Amino acid sequence: MSELHWLSAAQAARAIAAKELSPVALMQALLDRIARLDPKLNVFIRLDAEAALAAAMAAETEAAAGRLRGPLHGVPVGIKDIIDVAGLPTTAHSKILEDNIAAADAVCVQKLRGAGAIVLGKVATHEFAIGGPSFDLPWPPARNPWNTDHHPGGSSSGSGAGVAGGLFPLALGTDTGGSVRNPASCCGIVGLKPTYGLVSRRGVLPLSFTLDHIGPMTRSVADNALMLEAIGGHDPLDPGSAASAAGRYAAALDRSVRGLRVGFVRHFHEVDVPAEPEVTAALAHVARTLQMEGAEVRGIRLPTLGEFAAVNRVILQSEAWAIHAPWLRERPGDYGQLSRRRLMAGAFFGAGDYVQAQRRRLQMIAEIEAAFREVDVLLCASSMDPPCRIDRPADIDRTYARQARTPFNVSGHPALAMLAGLSVDGLPISVQFVGRYFEEATVFQVARAWEQAAGTDKKHPPVV
Amino acid sequence: MDKATIELLARRAGLAKALAEFPEDVAAAAKQAADVASRIEQPTEPTAEPWPPMRAGRGL
Repeated sequence: MSELHWLSAAQAARAIAAKELSPVALMQALLDRIARLDPKLNVFIRLDAEAALAAAMAAETEAAAGRLRGPLHGVPVGIKDIIDVAGLPTTAHSKILEDNIAAADAVCVQKLRGAGAIVLGKVATHEFAIGGPSFDLPWPPARNPWNTDHHPGGSSSGSGAGVAGGLFPLALGTDTGGSVRNPASCCGIVGLKPTYGLVSRRGVLPLSFTLDHIGPMTRSVADNALMLEAIGGHDPLDPGSAASAAGRYAAALDRSVRGLRVGFVRHFHEVDVPAEPEVTAALAHVARTLQMEGAEVRGIRLPTLGEFAAVNRVILQSEAWAIHAPWLRERPGDYGQLSRRRLMAGAFFGAGDYVQAQRRRLQMIAEIEAAFREVDVLLCASSMDPPCRIDRPADIDRTYARQARTPFNVSGHPALAMLAGLSVDGLPISVQFVGRYFEEATVFQVARAWEQAAGTDKKHPPVV
Repeated sequence: MDKATIELLARRAGLAKALAEFPEDVAAAAKQAADVASRIEQPTEPTAEPWPPMRAGRGL
């Protein structure tokens, strides 16, 4: 068996079910790796090693008796620290919630446990999923395993760095303006923002009610599909939950893309926010590869990235202000500076700004829906640059805005970011695939075709 | 947005403490808000609805 820390979730679960792999041996291998690497990567806010080992022992006993809880039996998972895990603090990486112990598991965590996954602990985020990377918080920011001087993306930073660094094969992230797909892009893994409402938000600290999504972060497309099957589905107690059940995504992964119509949104990275030449070349290579696999690639125009970003910001910061106003009024000094500035912005929008943004949002959704009458899936940039250095605030500020993720928070369509290639400096470059509402299966199908053609799931960071 | 307007709006929002302790952050937040709101194309069609629409009977 290959090195245990690079096993995919599907491989690990299969080996455990076949009694070829001990869940305890897998957990111990990951705990040893965490002990060695986490001082450099700062992934964990709270590692729950004792409980994770106890759960692995129980999983081993159950597997020996032929009792498997589900398709992720014995597979370790990292949880972003705005998602509740019963008995552990949900700090949101903030002094404000340092002592906030969760009474119950979030629905997505309950579902992962139901599928047999084992929670390893709570992992780093940008403060309240908005303010980072920051060095003025109770915990340091996570770092990129491809080069620890570089930013791992955010806000689901620990989830991205931990999966890419081989600390765990699966992680939960959240995505309000791109926070699953940004770390997936920076860390060279697979991150999906599902259709709005497909994964319950209950038990997850909100940032923006109408933009928040919970999504799977993994090293392979197959694992992402497997994880979405586990966490998706209707929750009657989440007011934003969709009526749909989760699909059977893993079974349809290997369908050919022959005949599939792919809309390439070139103006995002060629005109709206011109990408680094390496990124432009990588996106063109992905498009050519899909064409060679039999897909039909054509150009598609959508509203500009600048306007999508503005609509996202007005809605996000207005809704976040409604949540954070009491703390910002009483305890402004307990926030890091980045969060304080971003969250207080919501105080300066009028009700009219918010309503106009929501009206424009509906028009933009209609324009994306019109595109999906012409094509089956969209191909576009995720980040316009490889990840920048983490210690250069000006570079962080500049590159954060240079992305094409917010359109699909505004619209709620499923969007997946993954590795497109490596820069000359050996840092990840990314691509994004977007599907119709609830057609995650098609997104996975295209992502899998690219993964198989390019071998992206076999590329791991050299430094760790 | 001028300084007096920022201070007025900040106090009205209950941010007196932040204004006293972090005046530069309050000013930066106000600037962010003004910049971003001005970048949205305002729908001119009077019947353009906001998202999400009201849907009676779809509660918990």
